[in-house]
Amino acid sequence: MRKICYILLTFAVCWFAAYVAHAQTRDLKIPDQVSAGKGFTIPTSGSGDATFYLVGPGGASKRAIHLGDEVKVAPEETRTAGRYIAVLRAGGENTSKTFFVTPDKPAALNFLARPSRVPADKQDAISGVAFVFDGYKNLVLAPAPVNFSLSLDQSAPAVRSVPTKDGIAWTQMNSGRSQGAAQFVAGLPATDVAVRRVVQQVAGDACDLHMKAQNTGKAIVVETDPIRDCAGNAVPDGTIVTFTEVDNHGRSTVDARVKRDIARAELPLSEDATISAATGVVLGNEVHIGNGAAGGER
Amino acid sequence: MLDQFMNRIILPCTRTLWILAASFAPFVLPVLADNTPPGVQLSTSHATPREVEDTTQKAIVRDYSAAWSALTEALVNNDTGALDSAFTGIAHDQFAARVRDQLKTGLSTQIIDRAHNLDAVFYSPEGSAMELRDTAQVEIQVMDGGKVIHSEQTTLHYVVLMTVAEDRWKVRVLQSVP
Repeated sequence: MRKICYILLTFAVCWFAAYVAHAQTRDLKIPDQVSAGKGFTIPTSGSGDATFYLVGPGGASKRAIHLGDEVKVAPEETRTAGRYIAVLRAGGENTSKTFFVTPDKPAALNFLARPSRVPADKQDAISGVAFVFDGYKNLVLAPAPVNFSLSLDQSAPAVRSVPTKDGIAWTQMNSGRSQGAAQFVAGLPATDVAVRRVVQQVAGDACDLHMKAQNTGKAIVVETDPIRDCAGNAVPDGTIVTFTEVDNHGRSTVDARVKRDIARAELPLSEDATISAATGVVLGNEVHIGNGAAGGER
Repeated sequence: MLDQFMNRIILPCTRTLWILAASFAPFVLPVLADNTPPGVQLSTSHATPREVEDTTQKAIVRDYSAAWSALTEALVNNDTGALDSAFTGIAHDQFAARVRDQLKTGLSTQIIDRAHNLDAVFYSPEGSAMELRDTAQVEIQVMDGGKVIHSEQTTLHYVVLMTVAEDRWKVRVLQSVP
């Protein structure tokens, strides 16, 4: 009877020791969240050889360890934000724990600026979207301010500070009144991180198109005044101005390109004609030619 | 003669084939089921500042679903090439690095992709980038050679950034969040 008790007791002690040893290795002591690029150590207990695995979104590693020693997870192994699985395999049994690596502080920007070419003096014509990343290319989801500024030489910049939401800050800005290459910059305050894009501001549609006509005896020469948009910017060379002449014989149309702010064309000679000019959606004045009313304006 | 041939040969053979097929069905059908594309539900009611067009909604569902199929294939077969059609930029680089590491260490990951609930939260003014939040139902098995070292069925949350590429939307960021 005593022998049986000894055997049972020995068995119970062994079972308890094994249970305790297993319980100690079963719980991997890893924080639930770790900041990107920060190493840490995982204590283990027991004795013997084991295998440690770490699987994350941007990598996977496997190494032999000795139970009782600490497992060192290097900073390089936790650079990518996301969900990680740590597994300790010892004696044919697996113990695993999942944890999250969270992004580090903002350190980089991706910046989309649209369009690259925009008419001057238009409301909300320019949009900028900034994506904020940490130094390891993780999208920083915690709110962070982004400064947007739009400026043209010799004019005060338009500045706006926008906090990110889920890693994104965006803004819409008016284009400036002057044409030229505007600098559109997104930056992270308190850092030297700034990304610059160039938005070419060009003259908008012509404003107040005005022309005059002259009968030279061989043709009718029509010529516009310098063509400008409503902000006073000269429309680009090459802009098409359409001159239309209507008389008893029908209609004649000539497309002329703006050259040095002015469009000029020759129309067929007519005794009695009405001439008009248009560019894009803008109509200019009308001029009546003939019966002693050459160049008369309507 | 023909009746005899039918009764003695064809009918018993057909019956046997049916019985064989039926006995394999429990093994075959789940495999087929796992290859079916996951259900992707998209909600765009929270998308700002631009409203998501119908055609874009369809394209996002199609291309996000394709991205998960590509990721699943890449991680189980350790094939970085599978990522090319659906991932770009940071996401492509990260998952390619994971695949290369898996290859080096003899690991592979089987993902059984059950369902995705996508919520578009940002659609850029010019329509070239969209941020979404995904609640995904997945089963994950990490294997070392033939041994399963980790297995779980879980719900995961992702922040997803998709951008317009040549002829489709590609995943640029796929970041799991707590």
